[in-house]
Amino acid sequence: MKYMIMLYGSQQDYDVLSGKPGDQEPWRDEDVAAMHAFMEKWNNDLVESGEFVDAQGLSAPVHARRIELRDGVPVVTDGPYPETQEVLAGYTIVECDSFDRATEIAARLAGTPHPKDTKLAHEWYVDVRPIMEGFGDLEA
Amino acid sequence: MPNDDVENLLRDLAPQVLGALVRRFGHFATAEDAVQEALLAAAVQWPEEGVPGNPRGWLITVGSRRLTDLLRAEQARRRREDTVIQWTPPDQWLAPAADRPAEQSDDTLILLFMCCHPALSPASQIALTLRAVGGLTTAEIARAFLVPESTMTRRISRAKQRVKDSGIPFGLPPAAERAARLGAVLHVLYLIFNEGYASTSGPHLHRAELSSEAIRLTRMVRRLLPEDGEVAGLLALMLLTDARRPARTGPDGALIPMAEQDRALWNAASTAEGVALVSEALPRGATGPYQIQAAIAAVHDEAPSAEATDWPQIEALYEVLMRISDNPVVALNHAVAVAMVRGPRAGLDLLGELESDERLAAGHRLHAVRAHLLEMAGDPVAARAGYLEAARRTTSLPQQRYLHARAARLS
Repeated sequence: MKYMIMLYGSQQDYDVLSGKPGDQEPWRDEDVAAMHAFMEKWNNDLVESGEFVDAQGLSAPVHARRIELRDGVPVVTDGPYPETQEVLAGYTIVECDSFDRATEIAARLAGTPHPKDTKLAHEWYVDVRPIMEGFGDLEA
Repeated sequence: MPNDDVENLLRDLAPQVLGALVRRFGHFATAEDAVQEALLAAAVQWPEEGVPGNPRGWLITVGSRRLTDLLRAEQARRRREDTVIQWTPPDQWLAPAADRPAEQSDDTLILLFMCCHPALSPASQIALTLRAVGGLTTAEIARAFLVPESTMTRRISRAKQRVKDSGIPFGLPPAAERAARLGAVLHVLYLIFNEGYASTSGPHLHRAELSSEAIRLTRMVRRLLPEDGEVAGLLALMLLTDARRPARTGPDGALIPMAEQDRALWNAASTAEGVALVSEALPRGATGPYQIQAAIAAVHDEAPSAEATDWPQIEALYEVLMRISDNPVVALNHAVAVAMVRGPRAGLDLLGELESDERLAAGHRLHAVRAHLLEMAGDPVAARAGYLEAARRTTSLPQQRYLHARAARLS
């Protein structure tokens, strides 16, 4: 059974991580490196255990485009999200024996290191959702 | 023989053995499976029992036997489907044996041409080249490209199927097509190198190995085509670029621009080899883009410090490169060289002319270069705005962090 583990972030979170000058102190290089090392190990452990299927990170919400119908006409909007709205930032798909196992994998992300003085705009969370069967051939 | 030596020997021999089997039997996909099994047998036996006197012949014999078994099984299956396939078992061969040495070099080259056939997408060309010529396992290739192994398995088998369906004969392309086809091969090798070099995130180790693999394969092509200037140029370009790798990122993974790199960390042996290659190739005429890019990399690598860089020569080389390739990134680099020779305003004027190029308009590069030149010109306010605009446009986190840091220095 496949599960998607989803991580979220707002434009503000992306800005702090990318060192954009602003209200919050940007992350230092060593903090970013520590986070990458953690994510890489988490990812590689899944590759080693054979549970890894796919993982992608999404670029900042400001790069998103929304297509919506207005009066029956499709209209494109660049960067449709407010600064603080949390949107999907990345996902990892795992294939494992049970929902509990997928939950255990996702929960390990709670240990992701971040600078001590970071003020989180929201409490940390990730979501795990089972992927419907029968669509396996559509991916990749 | 130590394990590493056996492994290197096997990887050199793999394309020759596969080439020999495909030339004799056809059946690219099945031959490939047979060769993998022969290589596996050698990897187990040779370190224990010693390398046979004729390792290539050993592999071809074992591979042929295995292929015969596989083809028999396949034939039996087809017979059940009332299809009769004609093939000749090795004991009835009338043609020269597959392991005659005369054509072994051609076999590797033919295999490369086959893997980089225009009927295949670049992603398939790369995967098939790494698998069939490079001898990497599907799992290794999947890891390097960050895709699940099952995806890579499908990609490779589809590519093999396309090679089969296209009915490409196992032979060198006709002379008239050869230059263009060699161009495709060199491009694939260049893409493999860049895949390993350009990435600064993800599993670093695996990706760096892709660059080494591209260099190894290009060395092999150079041994087969020692007279070709562009092959030498590409190998030189890879070596001269790879030489700077140790200085390119800080211990925490942050990007370091060339002007600020610790040149003592650059690999002197790679630089020397690259410089020698390009110096030998350039005067021979028929100069192509890889040689020019290698020459530019050589000027950078030979400068004892960023300040001592011979910018007039780099400017002249970019002018030559612009005449043979219509690439806006080349024009951007040319503008930087002009700024270094004649001052930032001269460079900024050239950037003004590039603004209308649609290929540059959407990206971050033009803004990043302009910000650098504005900083040089002593206009920190405009430079800062340019860095921030460039950062807003790129989706790469390391680039964003670099550009934001430049902006922060100016506030």
